[in-house]
Formats: sequence, C-alpha cells, structure tokens
Amino acid sequence: MDKLLVSPSPHLHTKTSTKSLMRDVVIALMPAVIVSFLFYGWSSMLLMAVSIASCLLVELFITRFLLKKPSTIADCSALVTGILLALNLPTATPWWVVFIGSVVAIGVAKMTFGGLGQNLFNPALVGRVFLLISFPTYMTNWTRPQGFIGGGLDALTGATPLGKVKELMSMDGATLTSIPEYMDLNYCDMLFYNIGGSAGEISAIALLLGFAYLLIRGVIKPHITLSIIMTVAVFSGIFWLIDPAQFTDPLFNILTGGLLLGAIFMATDYVTSPMSKTGGIVFGIGIGVITMLIRYFGAYPEGVSFAILIMNSVVPLLNKWFHTKKYGRA
Amino acid sequence: MMKTFSIGGIHPNDNKISKDCKIEVLPVPSKVFISVAQHLGAPATPVVKPGDQVKVGQVIAEPAGFISAYVHSSVSGTVKSVGPRQDLAGNNMTHIEIDVDGDEWVEGVDLTDTLVTAIPEDNKAILEKIKMCGVVGLGGATFPAHVKLCPPPGKVAECLILNGAECEPYLTSDNRIMLEKSKEIVVGAAIMKQVLGGCKTVIGIEENKPEAIKAMSAAVAELQKVGKSYEGISVMALKKKYPQGGEKQLIDAVMGRQVKSMGLPIDVGAVVQNVATSLAVYEAVQKNIPLITNVLTVTGNCLPMDKQHNYKFRIGMPLSYIAEYAGGVPEQAAKIISGGPMMGKAIANLDATTVKGSSSLLYLTAEQTVRGEESPCIRCGRCADACPMGLEPFLLQKYARHNMMDELEENAVQDCIECGCCLYSCPANIPLLDVIRIAKGDVIRIIRTRK
Amino acid sequence: MTLSILTIAILTVLGAALAVVLYFVAEKFKVEEDPRIDDVEKELPGANCGGCGQAGCRAFAQACVESEDLGKCFCPVGGNDVMQKVAAVLGREVAAKEPQVAVVRCNGTCENRPRINEYGGYQSCRVKAALYSGDTACPFGCLGCGDCVSVCQFGAIAMDPATGLPVVDEEKCTACGACVKACPKNVIELRNKGRRNMRVYVSCVNKDKGAAARKACKAACIGCSKCAKVCPFEAITVENNLAYIDYTKCKLCKKCVAECPTGAIHAVNFPVIAPKPAPAPAAEVEKPKTSEE
Repeated sequence: MDKLLVSPSPHLHTKTSTKSLMRDVVIALMPAVIVSFLFYGWSSMLLMAVSIASCLLVELFITRFLLKKPSTIADCSALVTGILLALNLPTATPWWVVFIGSVVAIGVAKMTFGGLGQNLFNPALVGRVFLLISFPTYMTNWTRPQGFIGGGLDALTGATPLGKVKELMSMDGATLTSIPEYMDLNYCDMLFYNIGGSAGEISAIALLLGFAYLLIRGVIKPHITLSIIMTVAVFSGIFWLIDPAQFTDPLFNILTGGLLLGAIFMATDYVTSPMSKTGGIVFGIGIGVITMLIRYFGAYPEGVSFAILIMNSVVPLLNKWFHTKKYGRA
Repeated sequence: MMKTFSIGGIHPNDNKISKDCKIEVLPVPSKVFISVAQHLGAPATPVVKPGDQVKVGQVIAEPAGFISAYVHSSVSGTVKSVGPRQDLAGNNMTHIEIDVDGDEWVEGVDLTDTLVTAIPEDNKAILEKIKMCGVVGLGGATFPAHVKLCPPPGKVAECLILNGAECEPYLTSDNRIMLEKSKEIVVGAAIMKQVLGGCKTVIGIEENKPEAIKAMSAAVAELQKVGKSYEGISVMALKKKYPQGGEKQLIDAVMGRQVKSMGLPIDVGAVVQNVATSLAVYEAVQKNIPLITNVLTVTGNCLPMDKQHNYKFRIGMPLSYIAEYAGGVPEQAAKIISGGPMMGKAIANLDATTVKGSSSLLYLTAEQTVRGEESPCIRCGRCADACPMGLEPFLLQKYARHNMMDELEENAVQDCIECGCCLYSCPANIPLLDVIRIAKGDVIRIIRTRK
Repeated sequence: MTLSILTIAILTVLGAALAVVLYFVAEKFKVEEDPRIDDVEKELPGANCGGCGQAGCRAFAQACVESEDLGKCFCPVGGNDVMQKVAAVLGREVAAKEPQVAVVRCNGTCENRPRINEYGGYQSCRVKAALYSGDTACPFGCLGCGDCVSVCQFGAIAMDPATGLPVVDEEKCTACGACVKACPKNVIELRNKGRRNMRVYVSCVNKDKGAAARKACKAACIGCSKCAKVCPFEAITVENNLAYIDYTKCKLCKKCVAECPTGAIHAVNFPVIAPKPAPAPAAEVEKPKTSEE
C-alpha cells in the first residue's frame, strides 16, 4: 500500500453479509427441497426451476431495464423467494401460473416497495396468496405422491388432510370420529413425509432440520417460530379439550399444512418481521391465533399464509410500540 | 458462572498475538515533540520557550482549566521550538520540540525498582501529587485522574473498579503490565481506594488473560499480608465479551448496576480506573515519577512473531521512529491504528508523536479492514442485538441522515458509547456509527444549550 | 318505497345534525391568522429551502408580515423581484440587495494538491472532517465528499470528477446559503455576483504559513501580501497568512490576479482571458446579462 487508509472506527467487520445470510437460508431449505424431490419426483424440480428462474429474471428485468440500476440478483434474496414460492405451490401447478406468481412476488410485492429491505409483505407469500385467489382450481389440485418414496404411483387428485377435514366437517352433523382421513392419520408419517400437500409441507422433520441449521448459524432467533407454534398448540389445545369431536388436536394442527414452513421460513423473514424480541413474540401470537381462527371457523382449510400477511401489515406498529431494553433507562 | 454485562456485546476474534512478548524499553530518540493536548479537556499552556534547558520530568506545560493536566518533559535537553505540528489526525496542535542531550532527571525522583508499600496518610497530598504528575486515565479517554478521584459533594464511592478487561482485540499492553508490574498496580489501587474513603476494590480481568488473573491474585494475596490498606481488594474474572472495558459495561458486569443516561459512574457509587492508570498513580505517589511513559503494543497479523512487541515508550516519540525501531511498516499493512481496532484511530500521519494514552501501533491488512460496499438494510436487527447500550442503530442512522433531532434524542442517541459494535455486526455494511457519532454530537450540544 | 323514504330522511337528519356540530367545532378551534400571510406566501418561490433563515416559505411570510420594515427579511431565491412584490403586498418600501452567488474558495485539484492517504469511511464531509484533516496535506481545503451537492435543492452544485472539487452552476444558484452551512471547512462563501457576473476572489482558505501551505497545495494562498500592496482600492486584507478580497470594495481591476505568485486569485467571467469554471467566449459581453439577474 502506498497510501494509508483512514476511516472512522471500528476497523474490523464481521464476515457475515447479506449474501451469506441468504445463502444460509437456501442451505436450510435444502432438506425440504430434497424431500419434495424424493416424494414428488422430477415434476417438483421442474416447478422449482421455473419459480427460481422467473423470480431472478423478473428482478433482473426490473432493476436493469425499468429502474436502470445495477442488478441486485447477486444478493440471493430473489433466489430465496423463488425457492419459497415453489415450496408453497402444489406440484401440478402449470409453469405459466408459477411465472405469474413470481411476477407478483418480485414485481409487485418487492420491487414496487423499493426492493430488498423495503417491502411490507413477504414476497413469496403475496405470490402464493395471489395465485390461491386467482387460480383456486390449480392451487388446490393436490396430486398424490408419485416420487421415489412414500405413497402409491397413482396420480390421483386428492386433498391435504386439512382440506379433507374442512370439506367433511362442513356437512351437517359431522364429527371428526366419522372422518377416516383424520382418524387413521399416523403422526410418524406426518413427521417424516407421508402426507399430501405442497412441496414444502410434506416433511416436518426436513423443515425442523433447516430450523436447527438456521439457529446454529445464528441466522434467525427462535422466538417468533416458537411463539407461533406455542400459540397454535395452546389455542387448539383448549378447543380440542372442550370438544375433541369437533376440533382437531394440537399435534395435527402443528404438523399439517404450511404451519412449520411458515413459522420457520416465512414469518422469520427479517424485512417483514418486528425488530424487537417482544414485538416478535406478539407477532407470533397474532399469526398463531389468526391461523387457528381460519382453520377452525373460516372458509379456507388453511390460514397460515393469510395470518402471516395480516400480521406483516401490523409490523410497523409493533416496531413503534416495542423497543429494545435500553441500558440505564429501566 | 463468570460475570459479564447484560445487554448486547460482540465476540470478535481477540488476536492477542503479542501477549507473551515482554515489555522492552525504547531508547530515547535525538528529538521529541511533546503535544500539549494529551488529555481530555483544554490543551495545556506551554511554560517553556525556545532555548530553555529542561530535565526529564520537568513541567513544560500547565493545565488551562479545571479539566486539563500538566505535561512534563520526557527527555532532558534544549527546547528548540514551540509551535504547531500535525497530530495523529493531521490537525495542527501546539507541540514542544526538544533536542535530546543526555538523560538527566529532575530531583526527588526515585528510579529504583524497590516496591514501596507504605501509603502516605494525607489524602490531599496524594491528590496533589497525582495532579502535579499529570496522571490521566489511560483506558482511552485520558480524563484527568485526580478529577475522577474527587467525588462531588454528596456522592460516595462504594466500589473502585480497576479495569483490566482489555477487551479490544490485539492490544496486550495492559496484560503485560499486569504480569510484570502486578504489585505496583495493587499498591496504586490501594492508594486510590484510600483517597476514595476505603471502598471495596475489584480488579476486573477478562478470562482470556488467565496468566494476568493469576499474577494479580497472587499480588493481592501477598500484599494483604503487608498491611490493612490492602484489605478489601479482590480480582474478578469476567467472561470475554466486547466492550467489557467500557466504563458503563464494566460497572454493570462487576456491580450489577446501570448508570442513568447522561449520568456519571459515581451516581451508582462506582469509580473506574484502568490498570495502567493505577500503575501511573503508584509511580507518581510512591516514586515521584510524572506520567511520561506508558506501554504500547506493536502488532498485527501481517507481522511475524519476532516483530511483535510491547514497548515502554516516552511521550513525544514520533510514531515513525517506533515503527522503524520495531522493524519497519510491513508491506501488507493498509491501515495503521493507534489504539484498538474497534475504537482506535486510524493514523493519517506517521510523523505524529506518542501521547500519554498511546496504546498501540496496529497494522491491519486491506483484506481485514476495507469495508464492503453499502447495501440496503434488511432489518435483521443484528446492530440492535449487538449494541451494549440497548439502542437501535438501524433507526438512529435513518433519523441521523434526515437530521431528525427530536426523534434521535427520544431514541437515546446521546447514550451511544461509540464502541463500534453496530458497524462491526452489520451484514449490509451500513455506516451506522459514522452517521450516529455525528448525530450524537449534535444532540448532546442541543441538550447542553437547553440547560 | 317506505324504506327508501326512511333512508333519505335519516341521512338528511344525520347530515344536518353533523353539519351543525362541525360548524361549532370549526368555530371553537378557529385559528386567527393574518390574511396577508397567505398573500405574501403566494409571491414566494415555495422552495422551502430555509435560505432566508426561517423554517420555510410560510414562516418567512409570517416574519415579513410581523417585521416593521422588511430590513431583515430577504428571500435569496426570489431575489429583489420577489421582495418588491412582497413589499407591494404589505404596502412597504424595500431596498434592493445585490444578488449573490455561492463561490467555492478552494483550488486544491488532484493535480495541485495530491492525495497523501485514502479515506475509507462514509462519504460525507461532516464525518470526514470530524475524523481527521482530510486525505490531502491541506487541513483547510475542500474534502470532496459532496455534502454541498446533496444539500442543494436547486441542483446548482456538482462535483467535478476531474478536479475533485464542487462546481457551482451560476444560472441555477439562488444563494440560499445551504451549501455554506453544510460545508464543515467553510470553503464556500456567498459573494456578490458583480457587474456582468465578473468576480475576483481568493480561491483558498489555507491559514498555514506560506511554506506549509505551498507544500500542501501548489495553488495555495501563501499570505505574501503582494496582492494587498498592489490593490489600488484597499479591498484586500491579509489575516492569518490568508488574503481576502472584500467584494464590496473590489473594482475588478485584476491587478492582484497578475501579481499572485501561486495563482490563488481567480478572476471569473471576464471577457477575454477567462479561466474556469465556464470558459466565456467574447460573445458573452454582448449578452444582456446584468447584475439584476
């Protein structure tokens, strides 16, 4: 060095960068991606590829040609959105529907707000919910497993356990005991892989592995995820104890649907979750309660996406109300 | 369970490479430039003029106000000039230039190594000596020591905390003096304790310096056999966490109390002094030696083991002289820092000279220190988790960039201790502390004018 | 049928009741304001730049209405024209002021003042100035991070990448003074625009002694006082090793420009010999660009 470098302190910096954090999230999602591949076969990989490619392309297009700024796809955040969107969709979704979802996720939910760090709502969830409302037939077309493990080879159009329960319980006089899909459920299967649903919902254990990785690497803190799971457990536990014939049990609610995927990977998204610990816990309780209200009393069988999006909208308020504990200002 | 402070903090690699390098004495150069601003507060007023003969330890500048300090000549010889010269940051400051001739000390100075354990009884005389010897806090802020040792009326010191945390990575000078001058430090602590009215004394040392903990404990045990003045002194091992050596953090760690915003440590009954200050107090009170020397570490990952040093220097030595003596500035060094890598100052000018508070010449490579490009905040909250004052730097920097003074004050920007944890931990390389530091200055100015 | 009548009736009653409530509330919380404030505000440029020293255009309008003689009120953006209109609205007299322009008093280009270290912190002059004397040997001159550029609301100032110094666009500059306040080194000064925009000024703020200043920057003022001696109008003073030209006394004779040994004195917008910022061709003289602009 011929010239000395001069800058304000501190002179050392952490090795962690936005990119390395996003990379860790991608690594944490890998178990779920692998399980979905083994479970649904190559079609799930095709879906994943379409989702990732379109998310990256949309971001590249918007930054380079509409905003005329340097491209931001190198920060890997669009990659994460792409994977999450794919994990949230049924495997049988046509490619053009996935593409529309990506346009909405990146173009509408992220870039219109100003790009990374500015969006109010989780992009992948906005994409998914947009598709769910716009293309309900595709979005509830749950193809039965046809991969390398689990289930038969029949490509039948089935339903998720949550969907089945909702459908049958809406009939007059129905009780849970009369629904074989609920009574015959094996928690062991649910934990590992053997239930229907979108690519990211099938294996609780794969998601929990990712959760453990994120915690060990210090990417996320556990309070939001735990707060959601505890709230769902307590809320459904109370109803289940009151009337086990009408309300599904807590373990069923935790292990089915997108609850774990949402609680671990979507609700903990930095940008759209509260900054303080207390705020995070309140945020988690809100998600848990809204999810269960939709599942028990709403029209949709599943409510995690809606719950997270609704709670996303109150994050600025939570950030205003709850601050960190300051030194000497008790 | 080892104690530490309760909020925030980070764990950078401590890199105490030079911790086993014994203190070496630097030879006196042919010329020194002694700054009149070596302490917090008003620069001292020079009392010598060109042509004057001075001896080592002679007063060459007198305090210019209540918060100011005496400056002594570190060499004997002839004053050549009194005028502006660029300091560490390249700004002009009055320096006294002295041509060295021999090494003749002023009278009354005890230069032997004999440990003097009997502490004089007159507290007023002790304080006067500390003041006359120009002792300032050597933990970084260089606040005049005698001011801190006189609690304002109505305030009682309950605990004297000796700061041996040395939480800054790389620095090892405190570690070395704790190993080589343990007893002197304990005597210094006993003197300050007596001045403060005989309060409890705790020497806080981080766990990554086990030898220092051992040496200090042994010294305390041995001196407690000598007399009553040494009762109530203890060594406390602290968990390694930056910024443990911050005054407020150390009080929290040792006493479990928190100083109120804009308050002083004495409000919660604490007085914090660095171990190096304690050594300076010992030398001033027991040996009549004014503060003209200190220990500095020459280190860096790019230096081979045999070029790592801990030097006892005299004030006024040009940094370029020290760097040269230590074997030259390494090729890979992109930045040279005086002080620790978290709070130290990058040196713009190697011709600047050592001052009382100099603690290191640290060489960092470009790879270690160049900041990455700033990218958008992803609201990960790492800065808020790291802040030892519990502030929200992501919020403060936003307000600071828009000059929103009311919001800044509401969110306690004035409590910032500029430790650098926020900028260190930001994955998006946002210049958090750079902008917050400026805003803090503005807000404190507003608060002061309001009073 | 009855339903619709009932609906209309309820809505009518509700509307009437609420109107009455609103009327009384509005009466109760009415704020008495001088209507002339609105009239004055209409005449102002509406940039809310704060150049007048007030919080914004409305605050300035209020100050104008409240002041006795408008002596202390001046809108630098609107200039004399606007102040005449304001005076007309208020029925008062106002004396015309010389129009001014921001002048960057530093010629420490990369060539004149080589960089001796590299700054690696946040690109802000305030942050840089608080840290150290800067990346050149001159501790007085422009730091080149562009705080003046970001603070200018009129896009009248821009960094020249070749010199590393800010350049003022005289057409756009309104002399609001924002850059003057933003510059931590006090390099920028507001000076009278002068006859046909012609100005002579010392483009340096270095207060070091001659040798030190010269060592730091080839184009520094070394405080030699030659200019002060040659000036026939006593417009030049030398203080702290730095010459300053009083723009109210300067008659644009340019004797000092030729005398300066380091070229620190700049003469701009003169017809024939025209150095930077804008090379002025001979045609410029014919332009009806008066000081009233």
